[in-house]
Amino acid sequence: MHIPDGFLSTPVWAAFDAGAAPAVGILARRAQRDIEERSIPLMGVMGAFIFAAQMINFPVGPGTSGHLVGGTLLAIALGPSAAAIVMTAILAIQALVFQDGGILALGANVFNMAIVGVLAGYLPYRLLRNSAGIFLGGLASVLASAGFALAELSMSGIPFPPRILTVTLTFFFVGAILEGAITLAAVRAIGRLNPSWVRNTNQPAGRTLVVIGAAALILAVAGILVASTHPDGIEILAPAHSPAWLHAPLADYQAHGVESPYLRKAAAGVAGLILIYAACLAAGRSMRQRSARPAPCVSAGVNPDQHAPRSG
Amino acid sequence: MHHVVVERWSRGASPLHARDARAKLLVLLAFLIAVSTTRPQSQGAFPAYAALLAVAIIAARLPAAALVRRAMLVLPFSATFALITWLGGDPLRALALGEKSFLSGLAALLLIATTPLPDLLRGLESFAVPRPLILVIQFIYRYLFVISEQAQHMRLAARSRGASFRASAGALGVLFARSWERAEGIYRAMLARGFDGRFPAFGAARFRPSDAAFLLLSALAPVAIRIAL
Repeated sequence: MHIPDGFLSTPVWAAFDAGAAPAVGILARRAQRDIEERSIPLMGVMGAFIFAAQMINFPVGPGTSGHLVGGTLLAIALGPSAAAIVMTAILAIQALVFQDGGILALGANVFNMAIVGVLAGYLPYRLLRNSAGIFLGGLASVLASAGFALAELSMSGIPFPPRILTVTLTFFFVGAILEGAITLAAVRAIGRLNPSWVRNTNQPAGRTLVVIGAAALILAVAGILVASTHPDGIEILAPAHSPAWLHAPLADYQAHGVESPYLRKAAAGVAGLILIYAACLAAGRSMRQRSARPAPCVSAGVNPDQHAPRSG
Repeated sequence: MHHVVVERWSRGASPLHARDARAKLLVLLAFLIAVSTTRPQSQGAFPAYAALLAVAIIAARLPAAALVRRAMLVLPFSATFALITWLGGDPLRALALGEKSFLSGLAALLLIATTPLPDLLRGLESFAVPRPLILVIQFIYRYLFVISEQAQHMRLAARSRGASFRASAGALGVLFARSWERAEGIYRAMLARGFDGRFPAFGAARFRPSDAAFLLLSALAPVAIRIAL
């Protein structure tokens, strides 16, 4: 879902542009370190591959078909940093050349699809290192991207009546399952041709990592659901006002007070984002600790229970 | 493929084509920010923005109808969310959503239709966009045509054999393998030709006084509309 210009309110697009720019800078440096010298042609050609791969239809049932989105597949093949840079480059070309997604909204689109989408797709794969991880990766990637896009639009004051939201979420969920299935099928097909292209998946993962991964995934999905459904619950209770003030500069947020349902909506959205971010951070840190140690240590690491109170 | 048209437009000759990419980028940003921050109540501003774009299209000697038709690609998304907003009881805002996304899309299209992508990327690089990202964008754009054509052949082949989920996955795998091998070949060829992490540019871009004048006047126009209307 590429958000065009004109949909996000000024504070939202400005904040995401400001956040995405340094993130892309850091990722670019990491990407070059991760896959060394040959990185640039490899990243570029694989980016063109993802573009082209979206043309190949996967028939599902009578008359319907889906196609690959690709964030998870790229992360599995190139590693998460390089995949994020390739996805950023694809989004930039789509915005500049194809008018698919806005220029001011590029930061938000990069955040949704190149950063969150790739990370959410890579994490389950990295933790489980098996077919289920690949499937869940594709699933989580699409769900997380779509959830963030909905949250951003909702924060910008686009009203989502509960019925439309239900339809949209169902639609996204079907798309997410499809992405999981296509990613898994593609990785298997690639693995048959040359196993070294998909980074080795035969290492068993410790139980802690599996538990943390599952917890992070559940938390991410729960966070998205809270961020996108809960604020609309508030909206039903409050009479719908014209949210024109959302177009005004940031200062107006304070002027209109804490009582506004839209502010609470935005706050709920932000809380959801922070929750998911914290979960990813915790999982990432424990992963780094693990890989630094020579022998796996199941009892150490982050206790997944510490997330539990927040998810309810 | 349809972006070949844009590529041809961008190689044209006009006062707008001749301007420095950096100046055009900054003008586009000023225009987009002005449009984005316009309140839905200020409906008078939108025809004025459209008039600005019309002047630019005429100055660039581009086919107006074709440009407008291409910019309409944004409308399916806009129309969906505008409809949701309309049903949500805010028709004025719904109208503004459609107008803003269309005008912004047309403005972005004008930039790429008057600036070849390599020049645009060089401009972006001087605005501190990371070099690896610029290079990856250049590579994707270069091989987009090549690999898309391969994908289209494979799609045709798969269709004539009768489509299945498994067959599509196989096709994807083969496309991946060919792309990967192509990348390795390209890398070896680049090394053999002494690639040092930078593509040579033909003719350095210079920021001339005329570019500065263009930047000042064109960036001021949307800002003035935003403030006045």
